[in-house]
Amino acid sequence: MALARPSDFAHASAPAPGTFNPAYIQVKNFSFYYGHNKVLHSLALDIPERQVTAFIGPSGCGKSTLLRNLNRMNDLIDGVRHEGDITVGGRSIYDPLLEVIALRKRIGMVFQKSNPFPKSIYENVVYALRVAGRNGKSELDEVVERSLRGAALWDEVKDRLHESAFGLSGGQQQRLCIARAIANRPEILLMDEPCSALDPIATSKVEELIHELKKEFTIVIVTHNMQQAARVSDRTAFFYLGKLIEYAATPDIFMNPKNPQTEAYVSGRFG
Amino acid sequence: MPKDPQSDIPARFRVAKTTLLVDRFMNQFIKIGGLSIIVAVFAIFVFILAQVIPLFRDAKVEELKAVQLDAAEYAILGIDEWSELPFALRTDGEFLFADVIGERGLTRKSLPFVTEHGFGAAHYNQLAQRVAIGTRNGKFALVDLHYRPVHAPGGGRSITADPRPGPLYDIGRPGAPITHIAYADAGARKLAVVKQEPAENGGPVELHAVSLTQRRGLVGGGQISVDRSFDLTPLVPGTIDRFLVPAQADAVVVATTEGEIIYLFRQGDRFVVRQTFRPFPESPGPLSTFNFVFGDVTLVVGDQAGSLKGYSLYLAPGAEQRLFGHTKTFPAQKAPGTVFANSVRNKAFVVGSGSHADLLFSTTEDRRWGKSFDFAVTHAVIGGKYDRMVFLDDKHVLHFYRLDDPHPEASFRAFFGKLWYEGSPAPRFDWQSTGGSDDFEPKLSLVPLIFGSLKGTFYALVFAVPIALLAAIYTSQFLKPEIKTVVKPVMEIMASLPSVVLGFLAALWLAPIVETRVPSILLLVTLVPFSAFALGYLWTHASPRVRVLIPHGWEFLVFIPVLLGVGYAAWQMGPALERLLFVVTDPSTGARVADFRLWWPTVTGTPFEQRNSLVVGFMMGFAVIPIIFTISEDALSNVPQSLRSGSLALGASRWQTAFRIVLPTASAGIFSALMIGLGRAVGETMIVVMATGNTPIMEWNIFSGMRTLAANIAVELPEAPHHGTLYRTLFLGAMVLFLLTFLVNTLAEILRQRLRSRFRSVE
Repeated sequence: MALARPSDFAHASAPAPGTFNPAYIQVKNFSFYYGHNKVLHSLALDIPERQVTAFIGPSGCGKSTLLRNLNRMNDLIDGVRHEGDITVGGRSIYDPLLEVIALRKRIGMVFQKSNPFPKSIYENVVYALRVAGRNGKSELDEVVERSLRGAALWDEVKDRLHESAFGLSGGQQQRLCIARAIANRPEILLMDEPCSALDPIATSKVEELIHELKKEFTIVIVTHNMQQAARVSDRTAFFYLGKLIEYAATPDIFMNPKNPQTEAYVSGRFG
Repeated sequence: MPKDPQSDIPARFRVAKTTLLVDRFMNQFIKIGGLSIIVAVFAIFVFILAQVIPLFRDAKVEELKAVQLDAAEYAILGIDEWSELPFALRTDGEFLFADVIGERGLTRKSLPFVTEHGFGAAHYNQLAQRVAIGTRNGKFALVDLHYRPVHAPGGGRSITADPRPGPLYDIGRPGAPITHIAYADAGARKLAVVKQEPAENGGPVELHAVSLTQRRGLVGGGQISVDRSFDLTPLVPGTIDRFLVPAQADAVVVATTEGEIIYLFRQGDRFVVRQTFRPFPESPGPLSTFNFVFGDVTLVVGDQAGSLKGYSLYLAPGAEQRLFGHTKTFPAQKAPGTVFANSVRNKAFVVGSGSHADLLFSTTEDRRWGKSFDFAVTHAVIGGKYDRMVFLDDKHVLHFYRLDDPHPEASFRAFFGKLWYEGSPAPRFDWQSTGGSDDFEPKLSLVPLIFGSLKGTFYALVFAVPIALLAAIYTSQFLKPEIKTVVKPVMEIMASLPSVVLGFLAALWLAPIVETRVPSILLLVTLVPFSAFALGYLWTHASPRVRVLIPHGWEFLVFIPVLLGVGYAAWQMGPALERLLFVVTDPSTGARVADFRLWWPTVTGTPFEQRNSLVVGFMMGFAVIPIIFTISEDALSNVPQSLRSGSLALGASRWQTAFRIVLPTASAGIFSALMIGLGRAVGETMIVVMATGNTPIMEWNIFSGMRTLAANIAVELPEAPHHGTLYRTLFLGAMVLFLLTFLVNTLAEILRQRLRSRFRSVE
């Protein structure tokens, strides 16, 4: 594990090809409260770099809460508090000296429900660059094409980049949100049930996309769909009632679960 | 009994009868309620319209009676103030009174002095009911008609007349016949002017005037005697045709047979030529029409081709004396207007040319009525209450007409166009509905009022919109929700403050403070926003170690003390700024003083008033802020959290999220908030009534007041007689206000729908 000093954070160097940091994100004894309600109980897990990690578990198990804590989106909710720590690249994301804006630039997020902005497709994609003050036309054009190609949407929308994003279908909107999330080339991509509102064809497109994106990004995906977890992820964590029950390589979780609760869940006996 | 339709349904699926009943009742109730609201709004509009429409009606005239007079020549036609007993004066000096209401027929009265000295000329003053008669031998007398109502014992009333001549005065060249006479009585000043033609056949025409004085005893007026004589003949080049003496008895306006007008003005004990002009330079020759309209300020002149113009006395910029200038052009007549009579109630007059007569209104240049008769008009007179007209024709028939024209001064141009009012150096928009004298010319332009409404609204919104919108953005996007739950209800309570209280505060508390502290306010409005920006900049560039001390949502704890301090400092520094920048020479003492109140008019040339737009802007802004704040805060808070999360997750700051995502998405709602605020400001009455001074001026100067449409209705309604012109004009103002808000709201709704479809958020 590479210990990063705070100054390294903004310029995290890409590791040598083939050598992935197996504990890129570390969740250390992490508990989380909504008011007095403890929803995450002393979680501890390491998420490897450039792999797809899936969080599974029944509704209300805390998997989305944990995901939203990774880029501190839970800060927006009132009356929350946490114990323990989460580090990314060795640095605590709760460091008071850390700009949460910089953290979120590093960690992109795709939400359960597609949420394109009421702007054109083009402006949706370049939003992250615009808010960073990057407005060069040629750079933006290049980013739009690269991101939309990356999200497998380019061919479908290249002729109507300046039309409203609301003209897209649900699956296209979700892929637009993915394109938007990867436009600024974050290191980590959090996906909160990205396919839950999509039809099977759109779902398969997004899943193919996740396979592609894995080459470049560390992906954490929350899903209800166990087949999806099995198809796209390298490692899977199973949560139940705010506790981490089992965390292992995906084939192990599905083929050879160690915990009877995991087995019951993955075999469809509850959930 | 009809079969219950639910009877074959199992009991557990049946709907309770009361549920159905209530449902149907509420359906109908809501329908009726909604419809009656639409009907009510429509009915208000129709009612207002019904009040306004009579303003735009022409005069209605119908003949009541025709009376055959003696076959003789007539000098003048007159009428009593009840319009029941018109008279005609024969050129042999006999008065013929025609009873057009009762059955008394013709009454004759002849004057002994006319029989003795011969009839020369006569001049009729309808207001005083007095006739000045000049004789064939250079004398004149004033004849009072003594019209009076007589009540018969069994009820009923008739008018009688008893012409009584006063003493005979000598005037001009002794023994020379008088061929034209004019007389005016202005109380202390009385002036009689005559034209004399000493030799009957082509002798030189002379113009003579005498001023008369009345010795005043302890009891009533004494004898009138000649004070001074003037020979005006040398002052008039050309041949004297006719002349007029204005009611002020200080001047003589002479027309020559060449079509030139000479304005002679009395200065002390002599007359001087003040002005010589030709109203129709292109057509020389005697004027056909040459008369004053009521008030004796506007001269109506006509040429031999039938053109008709108005010349008014006014003080041109830079001039030292009031001179006649061309102000009106009336509709041209088919023939030269030889017959003239003016109303003694308003600025209407009737012009007769051949067998045609037109009733015109001087202020608006409007033709109220016109008719071609089957007789030729030789004389005309308008009843004292502007309700009757009398014409005399060449067959000596007296035609008695009813005149129904309740709103002669109203016209589209009078309300919305520029008019050249009497005494004004240029056409302008003006509102001044009532005046001190009978011959006052009402000025009914709604344009200054519409302007005032827009000005008040503008300054209120300039003050309110930035504060309300920024407060709404801050409250919805940055403030901790627990503080927000306090702030919002407080703002809503602010909205419920009665505007009369705000107006009272504005007029009696705020205005005197603002008056002396303008430099402080200037500092305040520049320094406070500037320091807020500066502090924001410093804050974002401060070390994170400082910033972590204040949790998100509590930054105002840092800002408020700083802004209060800056505000206090700005207020205290105002007088220093005044001493530094606003030093001016006091025109009354000549000393150099630091006073913004003097500096502003000296430098900008526009007045500084205590009740000004700044005060109104503050107070009306205070009334509008809570509305705009509450509605736009709701709109901003209703932007889906998913959009904000999406933006924040992409590394946008809260500020960027608010401005790039939340604000555009909420724009439709914010637009509604602005429009509702605008509507409140346009219709606001009490604050503007109390805090503006209500001067109907048309200038954007922030240090002067205004009069709005709404305030005008409140201020003038007590002075407006039921169904009078002013009353209906106020309704017209109400309709303009109604249409203004209707127009603004419709435009706003269209724009809002477009914004909404453009920034429709994800459903």
